[in-house]
Amino acid sequence: MLMPRKVAHRKHHRGRTFGNAKGGTHLAFGEYGIQALEPGWLTARQIEAARIAMTRAIKRGGKVWINVFPDKPVTKKPAETRMGSGKGNPELWVAVVKPGRVLFELSFPSAEVAHAALSKAIQKLPMRAKIITREEAI
Amino acid sequence: MSTSTLVASSGRATGSAASRRLRAQDQIPAVLYGHGMTPLALTVERRDLRLALSGPAGVNTVLNLTVDGSAYNAVVKELQRHPVKRTVSHVDFLQVSMHEEITVHIPLRLEGEAKAVQTAGGLVDPAVDTIEVVTTPANMPAEFVVDISDMQPDTVIRLADLAMPTGVTATGDPEMPIVTVLFDTAAVAEIEAMDAAVDGEAAADGEAGASAGGEASGDSAE
Repeated sequence: MLMPRKVAHRKHHRGRTFGNAKGGTHLAFGEYGIQALEPGWLTARQIEAARIAMTRAIKRGGKVWINVFPDKPVTKKPAETRMGSGKGNPELWVAVVKPGRVLFELSFPSAEVAHAALSKAIQKLPMRAKIITREEAI
Repeated sequence: MSTSTLVASSGRATGSAASRRLRAQDQIPAVLYGHGMTPLALTVERRDLRLALSGPAGVNTVLNLTVDGSAYNAVVKELQRHPVKRTVSHVDFLQVSMHEEITVHIPLRLEGEAKAVQTAGGLVDPAVDTIEVVTTPANMPAEFVVDISDMQPDTVIRLADLAMPTGVTATGDPEMPIVTVLFDTAAVAEIEAMDAAVDGEAAADGEAGASAGGEASGDSAE
């Protein structure tokens, strides 16, 4: 699973997510992509699950790009622990996603198979998302 | 060269709130500049813009822009889109002279099916979507078409291989790859491992079924 090799600070504040994505809102590599429509946290497990779903659907002859990286640590306190005694331990890594962000990109010769693969990947995500292509209407 | 006519009106209120109100009425805020003129804040109807840019050249159409009775030759310099809705939220028009060179990005389109590459498990990947060229608006091509039917797994199509029409010069490095063949070896290894795992499970199920069947037949014999 994706995670940073080393970090400046082991524990982060949770933060708030306002507004839309400012960058990464267009396809940069592939012909098709998945664009987030809601804000949220995407965990490393969810990214991996979506990637595996796409790779299994296209089998070979295609390429998948992952445009988000889970660089934010999320801490959790152990079960049945009283409050206090400091912040919990880092448990998982998440990518902070804002609406409009292109999460994954895909190149595949068949549009039908590519759409099916991306639909399977969207099912693994915690937020609403849509499939985008290079051709855009005015 | 593909041309089209577009009517715009000037004298709009500037600022984000005023622009938002315009977009709500299906009008797109725009600006016209270039050739030493004072920039003009304009509005265009969304439907008119869509029709004007729906020709064979798409966003590279040379527009005959009519603003309050005055006509300007212009091209679209930049189209800003809403990050989620993908609708056009602002347009920059650049005034051009029909015989003066400008730098534009012409889209690249792949034609045909690279059967040899597909058989080898590769993927034809356009390394670029557009080619930056210097040309006059009168000579501007609508698109560059690359035939990939004869591509082999080790073929690389470079910028120098692209035939440029008369009066069009590519600005990039002639050795720059524009179409390559990708092999995702990590993904292929993963798929082979998954296939092997599925085959192994199927074989194990088959053996278990056979042994269960044998026991059942033994029971029935008793």
